[in-house]
Amino acid sequence: MILRTLQRRIVVVFVGLLLLVMGLIVGLVSGSNQRMVASETARELAVGTRIFQRLVEQNQRQLETAATVLSGDFAFREAIATQDRPTVHSVIRNHGLRIGAQVMMVISTDGQVIADTQQQLTVPRSFQFEDLLTNAQASGKSSGFRQMKDGYLYQLVLVPILAPKLIAWVGMGFQVDDQWANGLSEVIGLTVSVVRRQGAEVSVLASSLDAAKQTVLAGALQDAPGGDSWELAIGADHFQTVQLPLGQDVSVVLQRSLEQAQAPYQRLQNVLLVVILGGVLLFAGGSVMLARRIVRPLDELSVSARRIESGDYSQPMPAMPRDEIGQLALSFDHMRERVASREEKILRLAYEDTLTGLANRTRFLEALGQRLNHGSGAVAILNIDRFASINNALGNGVGDQLLIEIGTLLGQITPAPTLLARLWGDEFAFLLCGAGKEEALAFTRSVLAILNRPVTLDGQRLDIGGSLGVALYPQDANDVTELLRGADQAMALAKRRHTGFAFASGSGGQPVHEQLSLVGEMREALARQEFVLHYQPKLDMVTGKIVGAEALLRWQHPVRGLVSPIHFIPFAEQTGFIREITPWVLERVIAQAAQWRRDGLELVVSANLSALDMLSPNLVTQVRDWLELHQLAPASLCLEITESALMDEPELALSHLTELFQLGVKLSIDDYGVGQASLGYVKTLPVHELKIDQSFVTAVAGSPKNAAIVRSTILLSHELGLTVTAEGAETPADLSWLAQNGCDVAQGYGIARPMPAEALPGWIAMTEKCL
Amino acid sequence: MRPGLVALRLALVLLCARAVAATVDATVLTSAGRPVEDAAVVVEPVAGVAPKGQRTVTIEQRDREFIPYVSIVETGTMVEFPNRDAFKHHIYSFSSPKIFEIKLYAGKPVLPVLFDKPGEVALGCNIHDWMEAYVLVVNTPYFARTDATGHAVLRNVPAGSYRLRVWHPRQVGEWTLRDIEIRPGAAPTKLALVADIHARVVKLKPPVDSDKY
Repeated sequence: MILRTLQRRIVVVFVGLLLLVMGLIVGLVSGSNQRMVASETARELAVGTRIFQRLVEQNQRQLETAATVLSGDFAFREAIATQDRPTVHSVIRNHGLRIGAQVMMVISTDGQVIADTQQQLTVPRSFQFEDLLTNAQASGKSSGFRQMKDGYLYQLVLVPILAPKLIAWVGMGFQVDDQWANGLSEVIGLTVSVVRRQGAEVSVLASSLDAAKQTVLAGALQDAPGGDSWELAIGADHFQTVQLPLGQDVSVVLQRSLEQAQAPYQRLQNVLLVVILGGVLLFAGGSVMLARRIVRPLDELSVSARRIESGDYSQPMPAMPRDEIGQLALSFDHMRERVASREEKILRLAYEDTLTGLANRTRFLEALGQRLNHGSGAVAILNIDRFASINNALGNGVGDQLLIEIGTLLGQITPAPTLLARLWGDEFAFLLCGAGKEEALAFTRSVLAILNRPVTLDGQRLDIGGSLGVALYPQDANDVTELLRGADQAMALAKRRHTGFAFASGSGGQPVHEQLSLVGEMREALARQEFVLHYQPKLDMVTGKIVGAEALLRWQHPVRGLVSPIHFIPFAEQTGFIREITPWVLERVIAQAAQWRRDGLELVVSANLSALDMLSPNLVTQVRDWLELHQLAPASLCLEITESALMDEPELALSHLTELFQLGVKLSIDDYGVGQASLGYVKTLPVHELKIDQSFVTAVAGSPKNAAIVRSTILLSHELGLTVTAEGAETPADLSWLAQNGCDVAQGYGIARPMPAEALPGWIAMTEKCL
Repeated sequence: MRPGLVALRLALVLLCARAVAATVDATVLTSAGRPVEDAAVVVEPVAGVAPKGQRTVTIEQRDREFIPYVSIVETGTMVEFPNRDAFKHHIYSFSSPKIFEIKLYAGKPVLPVLFDKPGEVALGCNIHDWMEAYVLVVNTPYFARTDATGHAVLRNVPAGSYRLRVWHPRQVGEWTLRDIEIRPGAAPTKLALVADIHARVVKLKPPVDSDKY
């Protein structure tokens, strides 16, 4: 489409408009010209006609005057009066020459031609133009244009010869020829032709036209319409024609050449056309240039815009002239700078941790992802020890300041890591490209060294520490998520074991995808009753009787077989799925206990509660309901809770615990000694029992330190009014030591492995027989 | 009749006429009733030769006009043309009864011209184209010219038979001659005549200006 580009549009519109205007002008001028030509022709014809008539009139008068003077000549009169034919003849010939009349005639008063210079008169004849004679008799003289017998056209003048009264008429004929016509034509500017119409035939007697044209004219006039004026074509020329009568059948045809009339206008029009053409070309050229000048900067602008669109903010706008487009370009350039700076800011925000100014998690992950497949290196995740307690004790403000300070400190480590980032909360991450195990280790030590120094904030001296988990790539994993998970697990391990740091290769975690699937499977397992409860009996050290059993969850996986809880319980706790497992367990346990009671087995059955279970608002209600449902005395149920489980939200956990205590349910602190609960806290708990962790109990007999711990724990518990159960009694030596040292209850492989519910009664029966 | 006899008869008639002279009272009007001035009323005796009356007639040029316009003279009369104007007149006539031309200067007397043939003579002046005069030469002494009222009186016309002729220089066509009888007696013979004349073509007469002419 011709109008697609702005440039072409400008040119087309401009030139089109100009052509339109010029066309209008040409049309108007042309129309006006034609009208002017027509009116001028008419005027010229009119004027020419009047002049012609006046000239002829004057001519006539002149001739008449000359004739009158001639006729007054005494000698002439005398000669005519003598009636002597030869005399008359010679005198009229002589006087004809004098006056320049080609024809002279003497006519008697009764119209007979007495003498004629044209011919000898043997017999008098009457004067052929009677009307002239009549006119002369009436007016005293007459004149007119007549074609005489010789075929020529004459201007005839009849004047009286008075001596003193009319004795005869003298007629003088002056030849009208082409010369006469030419003379007149030159004066009036019209072609003059004298024609005679005899019937249907028209003959041209005298004309200012050339011979060929005269013939054409004669022919054309035969069918002439007459009237005022009309256009007549003679060959290629056109004439506006007027016909005037000169005499009887003689008339004069005056013509105005239309070509001549049009000539100046034609010239004007041609000049105008040339000028217009030139103007249009000039204009077209000019508008093309202008359009280009307008469009070129726009093109440059759009190129720049595309560059900006593609993210290249670096190139400034090309130089522009200082007009509107230049202004646009300038604004564009400012916009470009602003966009660039905003994008930079956004990127910064996207990748920057607002608090510390370090890289954020997104940035770290991205960087790690980029580096993973290029060489080797290490990733370390740092968790700040005791951060939560500092935050709680001194407030979030101080906590934030602390993080900032730590960030600064970490940033000062040399050699600097490839990337230092704050992942979230109180966790930082380091990317060490090209680092091997040794370098990673050295780095880790530097970090810990810094963190082990106390930090002073607002006059406060804060002791902090850190736990680092390190994962190497590509050794430990070649995937970002995997790598981080490994480092994270290593960190958790380090934290748990207070080792300061740990390497990922040491921890052996499950593949992530396996873990993710596990949640779904657990849900299904619950629905499909793949979970089973095994019971480990507890032995009363004093009575030697089995007084209770701990319910332990096993998973009968269709593919993996029997899955130990260590492979899914922690995960269940992390994902919160435990909240669905525990109720199921509790209900089963209560039901089982009730059943045993009915069967005569008086056992206190124990079930484990996790931290999440402790915080569940429905816990107490559910326990109460199930106890009621199964008609189990609350004291027959024991709930084991680890120290750590109470640490998350101590107050809420405590309140639930208290409610359970008030319900009459037995409560135990599980894994005592490896948790973080302080003695002060433990003393406040409404519990009945402490279960010493197996790490102390296993091979207690041979381990003096452990023995010391166990012994003192037993004493402590008894002093607090609590019973003690030892977990992990594996050898008879252990059992006897425990018995000797006052332990109330023992549990472990040394007594029995956990067994299905159905098997327990049988086993108890068998054992009690032995003991 | 024999000339001698004729002469005798004429004498007798004349004698008788003298004794019995009559008056002819003629009035000439146009058919429209207008009086015709300057008409010649001429009676010519039918028989016999009319006695000649010798007279000298004067046609003077005054104020660049011939006065009188019409003169009637008997054949054989001498006509004088005194020039009363201050400049020259060039009288001419191409009429066949008398063809002549005289250049007349102021105050210079010229011989009179004899008009010896009957007929109509038209006089013009070559210098002054408008000057016109007419002389009717007749063979009888009995004629009169009508005045402005168209009235003419012929006196002392002897009784007898006459041929009446009325003539005007501008007459329309030929006026017929007519025979009349003149009776002697005191009472004039009244003639009421009707004759049409052309209007006089007035030629341009420029005013007198001694410088211009």
